[in-house]
Amino acid sequence: MRLTVNAREHEVVVQGHETLLTVLREQLELTGTKLGCARGECGACTVLVDGRATYSCLTLAAGCASRAITTIDGLAAGQSLHPLQRAFIEHDALQCGYCTPGQLMAAAALLSLHPAPSVDEIRVGMSGNLCRCGAYPKIVRAVQAAAIAMRADSSVEGVR
Amino acid sequence: MAARKRTAKSTQGKLPGHDSETGASALPAASGVERGAPQKRFASTKVEIEGREEIKIVELPDLEPAPWGEDEPLGIVGERIPRMDALEKVTGRARYTADQVRPAMLHAAFVRAPIASGRVTRLDLGPALALPGVRAALSASDVTGVMHAGAPLFDQTIHWAGQPLAALCADTPELAHRACALVELEMEIGSHVVTVDAALRADAPLVRPTGNVPKSQPRVLERGDVDTARATADVVVTLELRTPCVLHTAMEPHGAAAEWTGDDLTVWESTQGIFQVRKDVARAFKLPLNRVRVMKDYMGGGFGAKNYAGAHTYTAVALARMLGRPVRCILDREGEQTDTGNRPATTQRVTLAARLDGTLVSIESDTTIAYGYSGWLASPAKIYHELYACPAVRTRETFVHLNTGAMDSFRAPGHVEGAFGLERSMDALARRLGMDPLELRRKNYAPRDQEKNRPYSAKHLDRCYTEGAARFEWTRRRAESAASRASGTRFRRGVGMASQIWGAGGGPPAYATVRVNPDGTVDVLTGTQDLGTGSRTIFAQIAAESLGARLADVRTVLGDTERTPYAGNSWGSITTASVGPAVRVAALQARARLLEAAAELLEVDATRVSASGSVVRVADDERTMTFAQIGRKLGDVMIMGQGSRGANPPDTAIAAFAAQFAEVEVDVETGRVRVLGITSAHDSGRIINPTLAESQLEGGIIMGLGYALFEERVMDARLGLPLNPTTHDYKIPTVADIPLIDAFFVRSADVVANHTGARGIAEAPIIPTAPAIANAIADALGVEVGEIPLTPWRVLAAINGGE
Repeated sequence: MRLTVNAREHEVVVQGHETLLTVLREQLELTGTKLGCARGECGACTVLVDGRATYSCLTLAAGCASRAITTIDGLAAGQSLHPLQRAFIEHDALQCGYCTPGQLMAAAALLSLHPAPSVDEIRVGMSGNLCRCGAYPKIVRAVQAAAIAMRADSSVEGVR
Repeated sequence: MAARKRTAKSTQGKLPGHDSETGASALPAASGVERGAPQKRFASTKVEIEGREEIKIVELPDLEPAPWGEDEPLGIVGERIPRMDALEKVTGRARYTADQVRPAMLHAAFVRAPIASGRVTRLDLGPALALPGVRAALSASDVTGVMHAGAPLFDQTIHWAGQPLAALCADTPELAHRACALVELEMEIGSHVVTVDAALRADAPLVRPTGNVPKSQPRVLERGDVDTARATADVVVTLELRTPCVLHTAMEPHGAAAEWTGDDLTVWESTQGIFQVRKDVARAFKLPLNRVRVMKDYMGGGFGAKNYAGAHTYTAVALARMLGRPVRCILDREGEQTDTGNRPATTQRVTLAARLDGTLVSIESDTTIAYGYSGWLASPAKIYHELYACPAVRTRETFVHLNTGAMDSFRAPGHVEGAFGLERSMDALARRLGMDPLELRRKNYAPRDQEKNRPYSAKHLDRCYTEGAARFEWTRRRAESAASRASGTRFRRGVGMASQIWGAGGGPPAYATVRVNPDGTVDVLTGTQDLGTGSRTIFAQIAAESLGARLADVRTVLGDTERTPYAGNSWGSITTASVGPAVRVAALQARARLLEAAAELLEVDATRVSASGSVVRVADDERTMTFAQIGRKLGDVMIMGQGSRGANPPDTAIAAFAAQFAEVEVDVETGRVRVLGITSAHDSGRIINPTLAESQLEGGIIMGLGYALFEERVMDARLGLPLNPTTHDYKIPTVADIPLIDAFFVRSADVVANHTGARGIAEAPIIPTAPAIANAIADALGVEVGEIPLTPWRVLAAINGGE
């Protein structure tokens, strides 16, 4: 089947039970997307499927044939970081970094739905992404800062 | 021996001309870099790690620079430098152990015991091996003499549910897991105990042949005469307190990848101690140390559970050797939550006796610890001996073996549990005395180390109390909570506080190398690891500051036993204070050599050159040379410095201190608790990078909040199985649970502890959080609460007096 990941088409052979996460990590070697629980509980595997935040560990790869998949590896536009990535660096919204790709993808989806989210909207929207290091206060600040930056710079598209 | 060593430091330990690193530096003669007068090179010193004081042999560094003082004009150390590996982390380029992909790599998974006690009578791997894509199995006979969590690896006697019984290796992780399900397993089911009460009964099944309580138990420690002292008290309070078993729940599970090239073994491991894993693997497989390379570039959290090689490591290594192909073994979430350690549950009976003015006359605690099958005796009692000035303290600890997975270090092991008991009890005592809990703590302030009657290198807990209370507005909020309680409304507010002490002085051995490359860039090499704490960044800061280099030119290389000199495990909050001084010494040595070279090139007297911003300047002269220009002139001459961590000051206690204040709102109808705000004031000596340090404080507080309100491993006592080994049923805090957190450091530099002035941070913030929150809940309700996590039903039980 064909899988469109980060605007690139890949020819892959997948079995019916294989998850999108497995295909991304093990076949395409796109290891930016993380495996944390394999049960849709921790959010480390979050990717965008047609712009929506999706747990790739609970998504069958076979169902993604005509979908546009965006992973952390494709969040930046070439050499230019996404405003969320810049904000996460600036606000130190990460420690070990393992949950960070999932946090960023969840935030990207959130900002496409709510370009000017309230703190409560961020807290609800990001609550499916666990962070054991406890970077949460700074994640909230980074998402707020990125939202402001993205509204200020209308040339940047929040989510592709 | 240590006393003699300090003499050495003060008389000849400094680089000639390097009394201050700022401003122009005199250039030492080449021989002056080394220690001047002949001295013994080795001494011994005390190092506190995870609450245990150990004697370490120390190789005295070639120089012991003067400490950076409180007002040292530093330009890079102390700055809010962005985390230097953040770019890799936000782009997904950071490679964790779980991301290691090697050519022709295979994957391993475990067959685990589905019961808590018994014996395997038949283990048929045949059906699993018949599955296409399954390459091999590993069982007990393949790994003789290798221990995991207190038992021989793949022991066919079952000691806890989740114990590994065999491993299977296949083309994909998913296939390996599927193969495990096909293994045919027959067992003789034994009797188990998974609760302390059951384990202490006379007719209890034996977890260990020698009994359920280790021979060394109970462990009783007494100073003064508690019984006599208690009799003189005006007020005595006794509380029974319970803390849960909690799980590390790192986002990246334990894992390793192993690859053999001839007789050389490379292991990628998600670890807090690369050199420890190298030692463990070399010992298990009888390999010379120089044939084992252990690497950890990035890791997804450790929190104490990733200090040694484990079943996953040995399995990956053994299978890789057996099959001649790289093998990766990453635990699944259930394995992670059942077989990688925990913070054991405790029951603490605490008695505090005091005079009416609040002066403590005696402290007692009697604690049982639900130790599990194995582990180490992390002491909940220690903090009772340390935190307050009190002449009479007696603690009794009984560690009890259970048919549950081994305990392991978990962020301030022992202290977190003990702090809950002690600080919750202090709060109850304050209420009994009608005293402000903060005043009670000030009243019993311990200016000296109570346990060993020696001075602290520095202690500013008093400032933590003062500055924390001011920023929290303790007095105002306390009055408001009293009004809220009196009003009888549904949503009651309460405030509470707690304090902490944690030995975080670090110590030797730790080494670093600093290299100035011909293009002026700088490598800092040290065998430590960055767990997400920011050590990559802060060691680059220390090196840049000491060398006079631009931070942008400096890169830290760590997490590789082959490229870096030794540094110890990242545990016990010791990394900054252990490795930082070694990095500073290495950078100073490199600078001395660089300046000497520059002076020759510029044909000036060596005393006239100095370095800053990667530029060497000549005093009273326009001429400059950048590090790159010097490098080009020198060609391939290697400018290099070697540094090591010196001894700790003799007869001195070194610790990190903190005071934490919490405000909660309790819904008295549902029992739901919302934490509204936490203020945390810390004394950790000099802070190398406030941004990264505050991130760690916030993280510790949030983990403590989970301990206070949600987290608890639940065992089915009848079946002996864990009921919630998932990230759904074992609830850790989410972003939606987070209060406003104001975490900060009181300004100080600890010039006695070590010459960077820094102490540790990581474990301090989690210690006082649960008691501060529980004390706030008790304040809101006007009743004592004794058991965490304070889930709604426990809060309701406390309200209804049904504790």
